[in-house]
Amino acid sequence: MSELLIKNAVVYDPINKVNGEKMDIAVKDGKIVDSIGNGADVIDAAGRLVYPGGVDAHTHIAGSKVNIGRIMRPDDSRLNNKPRTKITRPYTGYTVPNVYAMGYGYAEMGYTTAFEAAIPIMKARHTHEEFEEIPIIDKGGLTLFSSNWMVMDAIREDDLDRVAAYVAWGLEASRGWGVKIVNPGGGEAWGFGKNVAGLDDPVPNFEVTPRQIIRYLAEANEKLNLPHSIHLHCNNLGKPGNYTTTLETFDICKDIKPKRDRQAVHLTHIQFNAWGGNHWGDMESKGDVIAKYMNKNDHLTIDMGQLVFGSATTMTADGPVQYANAKLLKARWANGDVELEDASGVTPLSYHPESYIHGIMWAIGLELALLTEDPWKVLMTTDHPNGGPYVNYPDVVALLMSKKKREEAMAKIADLTFERTSIATIDRELDWYDIAIKTRAAHSKILGMVEYGKGHLGVGADADIAIYDLKPDETDATVEHEKVKAALRKAAYTIKGGEIVVKDGEITATPMGRTYWVKSTAPSDAHDRMMADLKLKFKNYYSVNFANYMVQDEYVHNPVIEECGYA
Amino acid sequence: MIIKDVICPFCGCLCDDLAVEVENNKVIDVKHACKIGAAKIRGHNRIEAPMMRESKTDEFREVSYDEAINEAAKIFVNSKRPLMYGWASGLCEMMKKGVLLAEEVGGILDNTASVCHGPSALGVQEKGIPTGTLGQFANRADVVIFWGCNPVQAHPRHMSRYSVFAKGFFTNRGRKDRKIVVVDVRKTDTAEMADEYVQVNPGEDYKLLAAFRAAVADKADVIPDTVAGVSKEKIVELAAAMKGAKYGIVYFGMGVTQTRCKYKNIDIAVSLTTDLNAYTKFSIIPMRGHYNVTGAGQVFAWETGYVNGIDMSRGAPYYNPGETCSNDMLMREELDSAFVIGGDAGAHFPAQSIAQMAKIPVIQVDPFHNPTTEMANIVIPVKVSGVELAGTAYRMDSVCLRMRKLVDVDFPSDEEVLDKILAKVKEIKGVS
Amino acid sequence: MQTVTLVPKEQFKISIEAETITPDNFAGKSAQDIGAMIAYEGNTPRPLSELFDITVDGSADAADVKIEINGNVARVKRIGEAMSAGEIVINGDVDMRCGALMRGGSITITGYADSWVGREMRGGEITVKGNAGFYVGAGYRGEPCGMTGGKITVFGNVLDYVGEHLCGGEIIIKGNAGILPGISNKGGTIIIEGDTAMPGSEMTKGTIIVKGTVTEMMPVYQNEGTETVDGVEYTKYVGDVTVDGAGELFVK
Repeated sequence: MSELLIKNAVVYDPINKVNGEKMDIAVKDGKIVDSIGNGADVIDAAGRLVYPGGVDAHTHIAGSKVNIGRIMRPDDSRLNNKPRTKITRPYTGYTVPNVYAMGYGYAEMGYTTAFEAAIPIMKARHTHEEFEEIPIIDKGGLTLFSSNWMVMDAIREDDLDRVAAYVAWGLEASRGWGVKIVNPGGGEAWGFGKNVAGLDDPVPNFEVTPRQIIRYLAEANEKLNLPHSIHLHCNNLGKPGNYTTTLETFDICKDIKPKRDRQAVHLTHIQFNAWGGNHWGDMESKGDVIAKYMNKNDHLTIDMGQLVFGSATTMTADGPVQYANAKLLKARWANGDVELEDASGVTPLSYHPESYIHGIMWAIGLELALLTEDPWKVLMTTDHPNGGPYVNYPDVVALLMSKKKREEAMAKIADLTFERTSIATIDRELDWYDIAIKTRAAHSKILGMVEYGKGHLGVGADADIAIYDLKPDETDATVEHEKVKAALRKAAYTIKGGEIVVKDGEITATPMGRTYWVKSTAPSDAHDRMMADLKLKFKNYYSVNFANYMVQDEYVHNPVIEECGYA
Repeated sequence: MIIKDVICPFCGCLCDDLAVEVENNKVIDVKHACKIGAAKIRGHNRIEAPMMRESKTDEFREVSYDEAINEAAKIFVNSKRPLMYGWASGLCEMMKKGVLLAEEVGGILDNTASVCHGPSALGVQEKGIPTGTLGQFANRADVVIFWGCNPVQAHPRHMSRYSVFAKGFFTNRGRKDRKIVVVDVRKTDTAEMADEYVQVNPGEDYKLLAAFRAAVADKADVIPDTVAGVSKEKIVELAAAMKGAKYGIVYFGMGVTQTRCKYKNIDIAVSLTTDLNAYTKFSIIPMRGHYNVTGAGQVFAWETGYVNGIDMSRGAPYYNPGETCSNDMLMREELDSAFVIGGDAGAHFPAQSIAQMAKIPVIQVDPFHNPTTEMANIVIPVKVSGVELAGTAYRMDSVCLRMRKLVDVDFPSDEEVLDKILAKVKEIKGVS
Repeated sequence: MQTVTLVPKEQFKISIEAETITPDNFAGKSAQDIGAMIAYEGNTPRPLSELFDITVDGSADAADVKIEINGNVARVKRIGEAMSAGEIVINGDVDMRCGALMRGGSITITGYADSWVGREMRGGEITVKGNAGFYVGAGYRGEPCGMTGGKITVFGNVLDYVGEHLCGGEIIIKGNAGILPGISNKGGTIIIEGDTAMPGSEMTKGTIIVKGTVTEMMPVYQNEGTETVDGVEYTKYVGDVTVDGAGELFVK
């Protein structure tokens, strides 16, 4: 079938240890192959930068939170408008793009895979309805388990296998890829407007602690042999002084032996959880302390949650934080608690360089990436659209690669920032190899997607390739940061499954992507115990019937299913 | 054969515990539904075949589906400002096709919310909405306020399934664990069974809500002796009751969305709810009418960024209720055709709008005869969604469920009709 | 000096969207150039030459361009949108969103201005000799600020929500205003010489002066006694207390 040859590509493929080698890439039937015949289409990369297609392990792209963001924000939908063309549907939205702009926007930047950061099980069908409309990119999602009655009851009864059985069932019910934990236990406390204060603060009415929730879910995750580790949004996010909770949380999974070759825990958007001080007045960065921990420990990975100045729409299952933000900023506030399962909040806001608080937050994300020695341990993310919209990723990359750009940015940021952070003292500038790790290779490895051919360009990988209009050998990224940003913003070519979908930053084709999910099994006795408890909860507390609850096949047209589990 | 766990395709409650007995491909019994839900599922006289007429005073003549679809496509192609209204009685799958068609013909996409809870969306755009799923309220709420809505009549099983009688985890005594308050201009059936009825002067809910906010904020000294017909004393007392709740929930309806101040009533009700969250837990939720009007808003939002009143004529969507909703345009006589699908403009639009619809070509896609049929030029009957067609719908709290097919019928689905109209439109325009 | 005269060729029913009619766009252009500019009748692009008789006298920069529209443009929207300089005179009624996003220059409407005149105005001046519709000088859905600068004067009456989300600038209504003027405003000044109802709801900052009768007051204002403004004595209210507002409401 279709064959493609990319010649003269300067390739960075860290999973295969390729570091700026000039080579040809052969594509056949949507995969990277060793070689192909003479009849292939040819793209001459002419010495330009070639990366595997981008992989985003943590972003909010689909589902009820995103949609309430859209509904609430015609002021956002009116931005980034492009009328329909022969190939593309209309684009709307900057922080909460419509489903079409969501897919096109990622593809235009050379991204080909993105994972929705939080799926509430009861509303998972909605997430998949939106997935089915987002063009081009491959997707998966992480399912919320952290304030779930089934989970907490099983923990209280010290029934780990039942926790695992519920996780297995919940992943299937939601067609999710992995276990998401957000402010564990806090989502239930938020049901009555409260929160949990720390890792050992018991959840009211359930008598389990956040520490236990994390631990049991981590162990269940490993028993089930899930491809991804637990994915954890720490307690006390957004509070000055929270870094101590973060460090304590880091230790919880230290002795967990992952079944697979990966981290025992991935902690997300750590910028928001790396704050020192006691209140807004004396808030300071503890990015250096977090990085120090990262340098001494190998059981965990994190992602930045980088701030981008300008408009953002915060959306998270951390209900209490969203209320606090909205109250502080007198902003609009949409709260959406899900019965028996979790909380959520959506609050539009803006980040300003004149605010030293925002300056500190901006600095912390960069500190985490630059002070952690091993680039595989810290993913580049903005927790789109919480820290800022994903279309700004090229700007973040440019900051990581250029101290000069950081200095230009810092000149516009409130002075107090530099007394409270160490960003001004950091000289490190990441190179193309580091960036390839932080924007594709590590995302794929951390998610467990390498064996699915994501994040690398080895033979057998999906032919998801990004060619950028920039010659690494002729560009000094430390100085020419504007060029770096522009090149990454609009790919010269984005190839998805061997098909050219973007040329010169414009969409040329809109194939539909796949949805990756995990079907796992726990021992049958544990499953039976779990089902008995579940059926009781449906009978007594859920407002829908069990028979109507799980996501059906009709909502996932192009599935790729990983099967795993234990007996 | 008894089909269980059937989801009712009538109102925003989306009750999913119905049991429907089907024999020889006919519905013979419906259990657990309320009267209106059961009636919808049992069905009634339907339009048997497509029909057309040149003038609205002519008799209809029966035509083939192809003829009706071709004529509809011609009307679309010749329209500079076609309205595409309704959607809420259909399933999400067909709404996506509607958006595609609207983009192709540069039309106006509007749904039944614009005569119902459209103002609620506008309120959300001002303030957001602290809310949750219905089970959250069933399990936790001990103070329940019905403001400008009458579930006894309009959402008959709401109170037993969710809001008043349901026994939940924290409310296991059901009705006894709850204080029910009704705020309305008259003593409705719902008010009759409440613990407290507050009569508000018509059109003055806005001021009453503002006074509640002042009382909640301990600034009652600025409140006059009476606001909207309610004594200051009563306002202060109720504010205290709200603050003293373990979990409060406000259900609201047309009594506030369609009376004076309209969306500002919702705006301020949301503000009051948010204010109360400084003291305790409070949520608010609109009592949506059509079973899938919430779905129409959700689908339109993820496809276009907006919930209703979407003007596609410039290629990218533009949204401005007051300018781009059906009645805004009909009252100004600025539409040149109307396509009504899964909604009943004839029944719900004001007289002035109807008068205008009488002057333009009207295409109706619906299983049943209704007032819109009286002013239609082309009528295309389709399957009854949620009875004869499976697919997706969103409950009033945005929980999404899959409706079942109960019986087979030999009619096309509305989605198929939309696909065919789109194909014909493209053929006429010469695009691929 | 450049004068462009437009006379509508027909009575438009379906609104024409003519955001292209601005001094900025017409500056230095010939009648032929202007005639080729596109407006939209619903989904259908139409060149201005099909819609208007166009005469152009002279050529100048935007600041020295005067556009005169003689005839019924009650169904022409978005005239003067985002203009930065120059003058537009409409001798007749005009449709919605006239002068939206205006930054400078002036627009005069001798007849009726439909809703959203001066929406999100930043600067310049709009004068409506007749009545105006809803949302005079207001914002767009979901935006924290509507009008941030400039001046709007309406000689007739206006409908509801005048100056909604006002953040700066001045609005003067010589006649009556409908309900909820100055709702959610954060700055700026609104003067209503006629009657109105429920002014200043959720006002956090700014000034509203009502010279006529306030038929209904919001129950969220603190009476601070009397104060004289420009030689006229008013009762001064401060509020909206539910939003910790420091807005000033002067009622005669």
